[in-house]
Amino acid sequence: MLRRNRSKPDQLPTSADRGATAIVAAQPRVAVRVGGEVTRMRARPTTGVPALAVTISDATGSVVAVWTGRRSIGGLTLGRHVLLDGVAVRRGQVLEFTNPAYTLLP
Amino acid sequence: MKVVIAGAGSVGRYMAVQLLGSGHDVTLIEQSSDVSNRHRAYAPESLCWLAGDACELDTLAAAGCADADVVAAVTGDDEDNLVISLLAKQEFGVPRVVGRVNNPDNEWMFTEMWGVDLSVSTPHLLTSMVEEAVSVGAFVRLLSLEGGKARLAEVTLAAGSPAIGIELARLGMPRESTVVAVLRDGHVVVPRGDTVLRDLDEVLVLVTGDGEADVRRLLVG
Repeated sequence: MLRRNRSKPDQLPTSADRGATAIVAAQPRVAVRVGGEVTRMRARPTTGVPALAVTISDATGSVVAVWTGRRSIGGLTLGRHVLLDGVAVRRGQVLEFTNPAYTLLP
Repeated sequence: MKVVIAGAGSVGRYMAVQLLGSGHDVTLIEQSSDVSNRHRAYAPESLCWLAGDACELDTLAAAGCADADVVAAVTGDDEDNLVISLLAKQEFGVPRVVGRVNNPDNEWMFTEMWGVDLSVSTPHLLTSMVEEAVSVGAFVRLLSLEGGKARLAEVTLAAGSPAIGIELARLGMPRESTVVAVLRDGHVVVPRGDTVLRDLDEVLVLVTGDGEADVRRLLVG
């Protein structure tokens, strides 16, 4: 499953007022809060273990959040604004969170 | 490398001493003060002991998981090992998480879903070793890497193996596989394209994807 949102990243509001770090400034392996819009959702069936990989973008960049053991999360849809709290690792060019805490923004 | 080991049983202590000996920075977490007290005196002084429950975030943080390169969850309890693995991956982003499987029935859970990069199952290893000891001409899986995406397997070539007398480069091994070592008369032969396989050679093969059937056909017949 691959879908892409058509809204432009530069129109996205920043989540800095909610204590979020700009994605470009987020560091790996330290607890960090980032926020942005869900721009891509993908169910990963690769290894037989279900996992949901969600790309979240703010005006400065994108991160990927992977939730293991599930293929969807209620309320988490394309275009939704969310905050993520967790520890990320660098995978290739992007930061990837595993099972971060998330807050759905109105 | 900085290594955190959870569980100071015989497995954890052995690993800790070996890794220290190789110059790594090792922290050993043990919940039971009885166990720590009994073994601490015999352990190298450079080994850092931490008393606490490795299933607790605070303990893992105190052990230095935030900048650890490897966490090994090797307690005698599979549930604990899974919790430790998940926390290490999820809360600290540890690049390499090793989980020990005590009960082979639980092995299926030791995957990336629980943060485990490499699972080591003692019963499974023992089975493989017994199998390996008794079987000539059979394809024995030794180790599974990256959640089963790659496997290390071994074949001891029987007299009738189609691979005997052929140069490795001409064997037609599938692209998904590579011969990583040949054990011959107690020596390790580093395989090259012109290495010719012989009767009773133990051939170690790394196989990814679907290459296994082809490797089996080429080496076992």
